[in-house]
Amino acid sequence: MSAPEPVHPLAGVARGRHGAAGDAPLRVSFPARDIVQVMVRRGQDAALAAAMRTAFGIDAPGPGHTASGSGVTAIWIQPGQWLLTAPRTTEGALAVRAAEAFSTCAAVADQSHGRTTIAVSGASAREALSRGCRIDLHPRAFGPGRAASTPIAQIGCLVHQTDAAPSFELTVFSTLAEPFLHWLLEAGAPFGVEIA
Amino acid sequence: MLRIPCPHCGARDEVEFIYRGDATVTRPGPDGDVGAFHDYLYLRRNPRGWQVEWWQHNGGCRTFLKVLRHTVTHEVRAVATATETLEVPGA
Ligand SMILES: [Zn+2]
Repeated sequence: MSAPEPVHPLAGVARGRHGAAGDAPLRVSFPARDIVQVMVRRGQDAALAAAMRTAFGIDAPGPGHTASGSGVTAIWIQPGQWLLTAPRTTEGALAVRAAEAFSTCAAVADQSHGRTTIAVSGASAREALSRGCRIDLHPRAFGPGRAASTPIAQIGCLVHQTDAAPSFELTVFSTLAEPFLHWLLEAGAPFGVEIA
Repeated sequence: MLRIPCPHCGARDEVEFIYRGDATVTRPGPDGDVGAFHDYLYLRRNPRGWQVEWWQHNGGCRTFLKVLRHTVTHEVRAVATATETLEVPGA
């Protein structure tokens, strides 16, 4: 397990201010995440739920929802499948934990290199996202702890609201992270975008 | 623009889905003759009215869904998962 640490797909993006000046910019950052896909085996739903509780202290969330415990967040992505995410430590660490926890009840795939997470926060976040996001992000329809997969600017995106600021984590295929960020800079330009 | 109520994700725009054809055709068994496979592959009712169709929620949960849609008004009356049955209303 001595593979070199991969270069972040957005490592070359210019940090600092993009778009308009203003005192309420869209705050954007690129948190390093371990991302692991968990796919339940047929008829093993109860075993998976028990394993997720034991290993991570998480009750497997239902459609459109997420749940967190012991530094790990589980995001429902489709029937019988979740993404586990955690702050990045050492290469493959979360995948190894998950493979042990779900060895009998689910298939586990490390997606840490394949997906890239972009964090977006600020009062203008909802309005900026609504320029390309078809689902309703109004607090009446969405909120902290909710998640949805939906195309934004024709790029498949997992939208996860993490707090009421509002803050969102947007997870896309790594190969599309750069074009997706370009769209985000355009969408946020009227408010200004501050990349940390 | 159709709005299709996905049983997993809620109502989503048509652009998130891929149309996958008539959901009422049934594949012939292994001893079906060439004629039966021809009909299965090529013949469709193409109704003016209600039709049960496959739509895949490609942009969301990626599951295959059965959708009861009216081919004239585009009204979507019912949506079910792939293993559930949806009856085509008469007339
Ligand atoms: Zn769906």
